[in-house]
Amino acid sequence: MKDFQLFSPTELEEALDLLTRHCGQMRILAGGTDLLIRMRDGQVQPETVLDLTRISALHFLRQDSNAIEIGPLITHTEVLCSPLLNQETPLLVQACRTIGGWQIRNRGTIGGNLCNASPAGDAVPPLYVLAAECTLASRRGRRVLPIQAFFHGPGQTVLAPDELLVGIQFPSPQPTPLQFFEKIGQRKALAISKVNMAFLGWTDQEGRFQKVRIALGAVAPTVVRAVRTEDYLVGKRPTADVIQAASDMIETEVQPIGDIRSTEQYRREVSGELLRLGLAKCQKEEHG
Amino acid sequence: MVSRTVVGQSVDKLDGPALVTGQAVYTDDFSLPGMLFGKILWSSRAHARIRAIDTFAAERLPGIRLILHHGNVPRVAYTTAGQGFPEPSPYDSFIFDRKVRFVGDRVAAVFADNLIAAQEAVDLIRVEYEDLPAIFQPEEATQPNAPIIHDEEEIRGAFDPGHNLVSHLDLKIGDVEQSLAQATYQAEGTWITQFAQHVPMETHIVITYLDEWSRLVVRSSTQVPFHARRIISRLLDLPIQKVRVIKPRVGGGFGGKQEILLEDLCALATLRTRRPARIELSRKEEFVSARLMHPMKIQVRLGADSGGQLQAMEMRVLANTGAYGTHGSTVFFNTGSKTLPLYNKASHVRFVGDVVYTNLPVPGAYRGYGATEGYFALECAMDQLAAKMGMDPLLLRRKNHIREGETSPIFIKLGEGREGVDQTVQSCGLDRCIELGMKAFKWDEKRKNPRRIGSDRARGVGMSILMQGSSIPRVDMAAANLRMAEDGSFHLFLGATDIGTGSDTILAQIAAETIGLPTQRFTVHSSDTDFSPFDKGAYASSTTYLSGQAVYKAALAVRKQILGVAGLWFHVEPSTLEICQGVVFNRQGARLTLEEIGYRSYYLADQQQIEASASALSQASPPPFSAHFAEVEIDLETGIVRPLDYVVAVDCGVAINPELARGQVLGSLINGIGFALSEELLFSSRGVALNPNFLDYKILTSLDLPRIEIIPVETNEPTGPYGAKSIGEICINGPLPTLANAIFDATGIQMKEAPFTAERVWRALKRNE
Repeated sequence: MKDFQLFSPTELEEALDLLTRHCGQMRILAGGTDLLIRMRDGQVQPETVLDLTRISALHFLRQDSNAIEIGPLITHTEVLCSPLLNQETPLLVQACRTIGGWQIRNRGTIGGNLCNASPAGDAVPPLYVLAAECTLASRRGRRVLPIQAFFHGPGQTVLAPDELLVGIQFPSPQPTPLQFFEKIGQRKALAISKVNMAFLGWTDQEGRFQKVRIALGAVAPTVVRAVRTEDYLVGKRPTADVIQAASDMIETEVQPIGDIRSTEQYRREVSGELLRLGLAKCQKEEHG
Repeated sequence: MVSRTVVGQSVDKLDGPALVTGQAVYTDDFSLPGMLFGKILWSSRAHARIRAIDTFAAERLPGIRLILHHGNVPRVAYTTAGQGFPEPSPYDSFIFDRKVRFVGDRVAAVFADNLIAAQEAVDLIRVEYEDLPAIFQPEEATQPNAPIIHDEEEIRGAFDPGHNLVSHLDLKIGDVEQSLAQATYQAEGTWITQFAQHVPMETHIVITYLDEWSRLVVRSSTQVPFHARRIISRLLDLPIQKVRVIKPRVGGGFGGKQEILLEDLCALATLRTRRPARIELSRKEEFVSARLMHPMKIQVRLGADSGGQLQAMEMRVLANTGAYGTHGSTVFFNTGSKTLPLYNKASHVRFVGDVVYTNLPVPGAYRGYGATEGYFALECAMDQLAAKMGMDPLLLRRKNHIREGETSPIFIKLGEGREGVDQTVQSCGLDRCIELGMKAFKWDEKRKNPRRIGSDRARGVGMSILMQGSSIPRVDMAAANLRMAEDGSFHLFLGATDIGTGSDTILAQIAAETIGLPTQRFTVHSSDTDFSPFDKGAYASSTTYLSGQAVYKAALAVRKQILGVAGLWFHVEPSTLEICQGVVFNRQGARLTLEEIGYRSYYLADQQQIEASASALSQASPPPFSAHFAEVEIDLETGIVRPLDYVVAVDCGVAINPELARGQVLGSLINGIGFALSEELLFSSRGVALNPNFLDYKILTSLDLPRIEIIPVETNEPTGPYGAKSIGEICINGPLPTLANAIFDATGIQMKEAPFTAERVWRALKRNE
């Protein structure tokens, strides 16, 4: 690893000052689970590194009236252990549980997962269906973006060189919807998603979907919503035929690529199957 | 039955406390002042001549002490295979050659004061290549006008290097064609296996230095210290007397360390600079430039009569040995010799095949040693045959498998790259393995269950039976030396190479049982070529069976000496004495401790060192046997295969240490399941490894494993120490056919290409729709 200068501020303002001063030259370290590996491999060789881990203002998890707010430094393990998130958003908990192993989950952060902008990032699809917003801050001020506007493409976000992600917030899903996170990897743990899916659906008393949100990862340059499938499901009960039709429709809404982990065709065709697998699990839980 | 106090007990591993408390036991837990760090420049080309190597810039970096390449090292043809002498592998390698034969082949090595400088210098070496046409498909290797990968004049021992053939064999017993034509039922198919790596926790590592007598000391993570000494000596033109190889604790070998891979470079650096030198492979280097499993394409044809009696078996093998032929012919011979004798009732047998060079990384020895690939084809063909006959596959095997007191013509026809040794099976628990395994697995009940579960899942069951061998008969020798101290404790000096297997403990148990005292009274030394007697090393499922015989003989001799001393003391015939728990008793019940005997023979009377050495050469290779049963669930829409239940019944004779035997079964089984479901090294069209890392080459975790039940089936092997056979390899052969047969049972699809990844199964399901 090449030598570099490390800054470890404790105040957010100080961090933003440093970012402004070293505009574009700085790498940001949250959990380090990705950055440190790349630095060791020599893939990135930053002159300066901004260590956020001492900034308590970025490390919070709270519920205000109807909104849940997550600080970017919240780790995956903290998500898993949060009674609030287990109660309100089990799908985010499910997603974080599939990330890496214990060590990775202890270090890796929600903010890091977002800013890394991997199309396969497992925490991202749940935040899409939760209609999360990202708060970005710089010396120039703050702005709030819907999560889908945060990503440009693989590895690319809209963060300006002097900007930090300082918060992620979303409304508590009310009333409690049907929800799941599903993923297919090369094995059960410590595997990057070939494809993943987050699902949120509210049903009426007859079990018909009133509102549905579906987001998929690893099947497009960024996480994508399956909007046509969402529309299709509204007003319908999740019968076998409906799920089959919805699965088929999802396959037409994704634009996967082939890589070493999977082919384009497999990703496309099994992306719909995640809907079937996830809903089957939900029904199993309901019935017993 | 003789009552035994030590053999058959799960004695704790003698080295366990040191290993789990992190004592300095491995090669790298050791650093010397002034040690140089080596890094290797690997070829970026699949097949090329080196026109020039420019080390000018690299040499000028601070801290660079030595750069080695083909221009400044001796040119001696050799094989990296750590086998007995003369090695059955071809001499087709050089320390550095003027030619590179795969992406990852050696080009140069830099030794520097630190690792960073060494790597920077490697990056600064400029190599001018003249690219040559390359071969990536084994089928292309023997085509007319194919490029010749080994065109060096020094090559020896390859079958036909001009046609890229390392080995070729066509063995015929009876008339297979005619017999197949007359058979009532036939089965046929071609099965394909992949490149896989051993993935030891500890990658290859070597540290060399000169001792106070200017002798070369090589501290190496190796399975074969004595073969390493011999090969280094020849390569560097150094008398064997001047070379000492030390094998510390080893973090896993699995065959990958039955190779001389780094010793020569470190030794050269130490000899030239007189400084200690170290090279350790990174994980990526371990994947690409160490050794792999031989990918094979195996066609099997079977013919049976109307009652299910096998009449004819044919196995056609195309084995890819990559750029070098290390273990090429012997692995290929084992593909036949460890599988075909299992069905010895067939009177017409043909085993034919080619082992070819390609411009890909180099397979070598890998646990299973060719049998893994062979069993995939043979045992899947057996299930195809059973399906055609409408017969329970278990019944078909019962009608045909080898039994105690029987032999097979294959034993004598196929050996280690040459003819083998005739033998009769003297212990075979296969019947009981099948019987106990099927009961524990609930084979009959599970076969009655519906295959489909809902609309999107299917379940199925599969089984296979296996044999392997124990040691290489009339080739490999093992010796042991046992010495008593005055307190009645013992030093056991072994060439047998504990590489994490627990063989130190097992061999001490054999000595302890034979003399009559607890295992804890033994200090085991393995291995140091200055002090250990010769042993071939850790391979070919030899250690318990063969090294165990040497230890047994040495211990018998020591026991005789102890009783001799005690006889003098008691004034009785030694044969009237007994040793129990380290105490000698005469018939009147008078006691004499080993400590009293030790002090007497060291200092007091009739002084002599109580010690003995003994050697063993096996006359046969008694097979361990096993039956495997698995249930799988397949998600029909995603192709995901979930192994649910796995039962293994295994006959390794008498298990000297049941817990360590269980560890070997479990380890080899999990290795085999990973190989069957996930592990595969992939290459680009230019021969570049695409996934030489743990991100994309997935070994399984405990979460991916089925429930596993291991059933020991004891037999008594009359030629083995205390009835033991070896068990290190056999069970890696089971998962490929067992899981494939379970998938076949569930879906009607025979998976003929490994590994059975979700995507591959999904594609097969789609084709079938």
